[in-house]
Amino acid sequence: MKILVPLKRVADPDNANKVKIPASGATIETTGLEWKPNPFDEYALEAALRLTEDGKAPKVRAGEVVVVTFGPKETETTLRAALATGADRAIRVDAADDKLDGHLVARALKALVEREKPDLVLMGKQAVDGDSNQVGQILAEQLDYPMATFAATMKEEAGGLLVGREVDGGVITLRVKFPAVVTVDLRIVAPTSVYSMKTAPAFKYNDGVRFAALPAIMAAKKKPLAEVKLADLAADQGLRVTYHGFQAPPARKAGIKVKDVTDLVNRLKNEAKAL
Amino acid sequence: MFEWSEQHRQIRAMLRRFVETEVVPHREALEFGDLPPYGILRKLLQTFGVDEMAKAQFAADIEREKSGAPPKEKKVRTEFSQGAADAAAMRILPVVEISRVSPGMITAMGVSVGLTAGAIMKKGTIRQKEEFVPALLTLEKVGAWAITEPGSGSDAFGSMRASARRDGDDYILNGNKTFITNGPHADTIVFICKLDEGNAPEHRKVLTFILDGDTPGLEKSKPLRKMGLHASPTGELFLTDVRVPKYRLLGETETAPSREGAKETFANERTAVAAMALGIVERCLELCVDYAKTRVQFGKPIGDFQLIQLKLAKMEVARMNIQNLVLRQVELAGWGKSMDLAEASACKLYCAQSAMEVCLEAVQLFGGNGYMSEYQVEQLCRDAKVMQIYGGTDEIQISQIARALLAR
Ligand SMILES: Cc1cc2nc3c(=O)[nH]c(=O)nc-3n(C[C@H](O)[C@H](O)[C@H](O)COP(=O)(O)OP(=O)(O)OC[C@H]3O[C@@H](n4cnc5c(N)ncnc54)[C@H](O)[C@@H]3O)c2cc1C
Repeated sequence: MKILVPLKRVADPDNANKVKIPASGATIETTGLEWKPNPFDEYALEAALRLTEDGKAPKVRAGEVVVVTFGPKETETTLRAALATGADRAIRVDAADDKLDGHLVARALKALVEREKPDLVLMGKQAVDGDSNQVGQILAEQLDYPMATFAATMKEEAGGLLVGREVDGGVITLRVKFPAVVTVDLRIVAPTSVYSMKTAPAFKYNDGVRFAALPAIMAAKKKPLAEVKLADLAADQGLRVTYHGFQAPPARKAGIKVKDVTDLVNRLKNEAKAL
Repeated sequence: MFEWSEQHRQIRAMLRRFVETEVVPHREALEFGDLPPYGILRKLLQTFGVDEMAKAQFAADIEREKSGAPPKEKKVRTEFSQGAADAAAMRILPVVEISRVSPGMITAMGVSVGLTAGAIMKKGTIRQKEEFVPALLTLEKVGAWAITEPGSGSDAFGSMRASARRDGDDYILNGNKTFITNGPHADTIVFICKLDEGNAPEHRKVLTFILDGDTPGLEKSKPLRKMGLHASPTGELFLTDVRVPKYRLLGETETAPSREGAKETFANERTAVAAMALGIVERCLELCVDYAKTRVQFGKPIGDFQLIQLKLAKMEVARMNIQNLVLRQVELAGWGKSMDLAEASACKLYCAQSAMEVCLEAVQLFGGNGYMSEYQVEQLCRDAKVMQIYGGTDEIQISQIARALLAR
């Protein structure tokens, strides 16, 4: 199985240098930020690795996992980390962060999919910076591929996948035939979420995404990392999304103390209009 | 300027995630429950492929030795090698990251993987290396390195009483060792003693033996109660007429110079203290900055008081200095060099002392909470103290630095 995993770096929310919005509110200030891979993309990579191995012998890859990111040279750090974790090959589509939107990324990915011909495009359900939750869906539409979103479980079967999707009150199981686009939710990295046909049904993974071994981090420097021009993938680089302004969330106001239950009910009714 | 690379930062982030998920939840058991650290350490070595790296390195070294080629000389490079620097960073970063939470775990690992396996690698025969070293490198077996005795510490060789007597082709060993890291759980013990040929102890030759933990006549104590470093079991060893065949003698010859090579071992051990100190100081500083911003007294965060600011500023100075010493080790490795003994002694002396100062100030900054184990600074404080004692006390470092200076 050949899997393409698109990865995006996002600002690390735990870092001391937080995202800043200049007074004009026209842009987001990204200088000085520290980056980390979008967590949902990391889950997609973990799921891709699980689908291309026998869980007992994770060093042997049955198939190929290709990772791709869009961005300037520095984003290769994200790709190198993915290579260290187990991906076979990486592609960086050279682009400036502020010259991209979800639709353009999906259009360029379509061209890349036509070139690379993966059986499966496995993606995070959304990036935690913009929370748009759309690239996977647009891509599937453009490719006219079967699609499953918010995957919580995946089981490989001949020529496709059984995808479990958690919904209110239960689980929907979808059968998708390759080639397909699947976006994953966070439960996909639970110990029994993903099974390739090689992995024994009784096998349990460690919870979460795997660690890269130190020798693999060294070896990742030698794995292939190709650079592709955005223009080679998308003739039309027009943006469909325009941002009208950015605003920091309002600072939380201090709470109040209510006298008694009557007071509480009154305030809920008259001030919060919650009743 | 030499800095942590992007890759080093990634490794640190990964190690931190491991520590958060695998070490932090066991902190209580490691600190107060005598939970031996080896299971977690084995998992660490496996998870990050350190065990396989070490085995591959071992196989290459043995191959080389068997082919009769001279041991690989450390050569000074004319060009900086990022690969060599990265290799050093990969040894150092786990020490830094784990020391943030558990300096004891690093001690336990360092003694087994570094000191014990290192001693056998340096002076053992091929047969001894093949038999004992691989299992120590993966922590499948726990190693201990025993030189200190109730009556001999800083003057380790001078007042050593432990003895070996020849008896036919065998040796009979006697003596007591104390403060032995991993002693209570040791599977493989490097035991340093003196050959008793009926002569006065001060004239005896030093011999080293490799013993199994279950050798008849060898008794291991329970972990000793101590001030800190609880995640590292420390104990006593008692040897009463322990009979061993000659092939247990390290190097399998009495003429192998036993004190030689000790210098490099000491230098390695001492430079490792810098990495431990960095982890401890970084953690203290983070905890303190956080507390200074959130603890409110007299209507303001205590960070608004200049006396608290002074503590934070001094901690930051110490952190920068210690980090520079650690980075210097990484940079030197890139040039194929390492600190010499006097430099390593100076490095250890400074790092151990300033880490101790930072820890005491951290406890002070936290006030009553600083004295409570819930807030972790008191643990780091107790743990940090040992860095001024083991691997040569501060006083011994000072005398060695001075000796080197005066010999110029
Ligand atoms: C937690 C822990 C783990 C240890 N692990 C091991 C281990 O795995 N294996 C092992 O063999 N040992 C181990 N040790 C022992 C350690 O190496 C010794 O404690 C250390 O070398 C000091 O020896 P001592 O305790 O006998 O102190 P002493 O040598 O008795 O020193 C007492 C005091 O006198 C000072 N002093 C001594 N000589 C001089 C001098 N010439 N000039 C000025 N001052 C001097 C010392 O600095 C110290 O302040 C461990 C110790 C601890 C605390």
